[in-house]
Amino acid sequence: MRRTMLYLPGNNPNMLTRGYLFGSDGLVLDLEDAVAMAEKDTARILVRHFLRQGEFGSCEVTVRINGVDTEYWKDDLAAVIPFPALQGIRAPKVDDAATVKIIDEELSIIEEKNGIPVGRTKIFCLLETAKGIWNAYDIASASPRVAAIIPGGEDLTADLKTSRSSEGTELDWARRMLVFAARAAGVDPIDTVFPRVTDDAGLRKETEFIKQLGFEGKSVIHPNQIPIIHNVFNPTEQEIEKALKIVAAAKEAAERGQGAVSVDGRMVDIPVVKRAEYTLVKAGLLEVK
Amino acid sequence: MNTAQAGTLESMDCLVTVSEAAQGAGVKIQIAGSSAARFKSAMEKKAAEVIASMGVKDIDISIQDNGALDIVLGARVEAAVKRLIGGER
Repeated sequence: MRRTMLYLPGNNPNMLTRGYLFGSDGLVLDLEDAVAMAEKDTARILVRHFLRQGEFGSCEVTVRINGVDTEYWKDDLAAVIPFPALQGIRAPKVDDAATVKIIDEELSIIEEKNGIPVGRTKIFCLLETAKGIWNAYDIASASPRVAAIIPGGEDLTADLKTSRSSEGTELDWARRMLVFAARAAGVDPIDTVFPRVTDDAGLRKETEFIKQLGFEGKSVIHPNQIPIIHNVFNPTEQEIEKALKIVAAAKEAAERGQGAVSVDGRMVDIPVVKRAEYTLVKAGLLEVK
Repeated sequence: MNTAQAGTLESMDCLVTVSEAAQGAGVKIQIAGSSAARFKSAMEKKAAEVIASMGVKDIDISIQDNGALDIVLGARVEAAVKRLIGGER
């Protein structure tokens, strides 16, 4: 599940120590924008020590590296890849499939050098430019390592030569495009952060909107945002009850050799069953198939 | 005399200052701050371990602690030493 992926500043020992306690599904240890230029070296060392010895609970652990257009990204990868705690890297400013391939190749070199199965490290791509959004499907399908694509917020808005509004009008099309591209390529669409950390009602509204678009979850910049987003993404009691009924009826029908079946007067076919199973996965009542 | 620093004085962090020492002077570690009284020997041990693993024999280290865990202390010592010897910047 990737309902919430919490950013932790890579040079902040306090947040790196306590980050997993806030209950997000994933963590993003940030070596990029949250770290000042003069502290890139110390943050990289600190994050490496945490990956080696730190505590992350059941969180999916990723590191946001610096962009491939900087002098830092290869050192970032070399520092973090060797540790089993790391499940993926979040790559900023991915504009096209070629960027994914460059990172993929470098990951393979480092994995091989460290005796790690090649392909273990996943890539979470941040699409922060108009070009990146336009190339979303190519990016999402550029490597089997790609686990998710994520639209940028601030950078993308700047590239579009507009500004961020409370309604999110400027990101509307990019979000829809990103969901289509991700689903078509079989990767997760994960949303950008909600920047107004004290606006709970605004966060809830935006999360309801992006859930309806088809997003799998959202990036998070403040721990207080986690329960609100989980609350929106978690299935309701009624949804769970209905899903249980559908899955049970489908199982019974299959045992009797029947295809379609009716539940509460509604025809239940394969897509409905799949959706019900997905609801139960999100409720923690069914293992991911 | 060359010196270098890494870390901060924020909560759960520490500020590590390292200075070059004359050949044969050995490793000298000074610790001050919130946990120094209770955890001094454990902190010295951790700092000495990191220094040894980096192959450094002569160095002065001063640690201003504000509740840094072992992991953080190790990382800050390593970063300060790397800055001193110019290995990573």
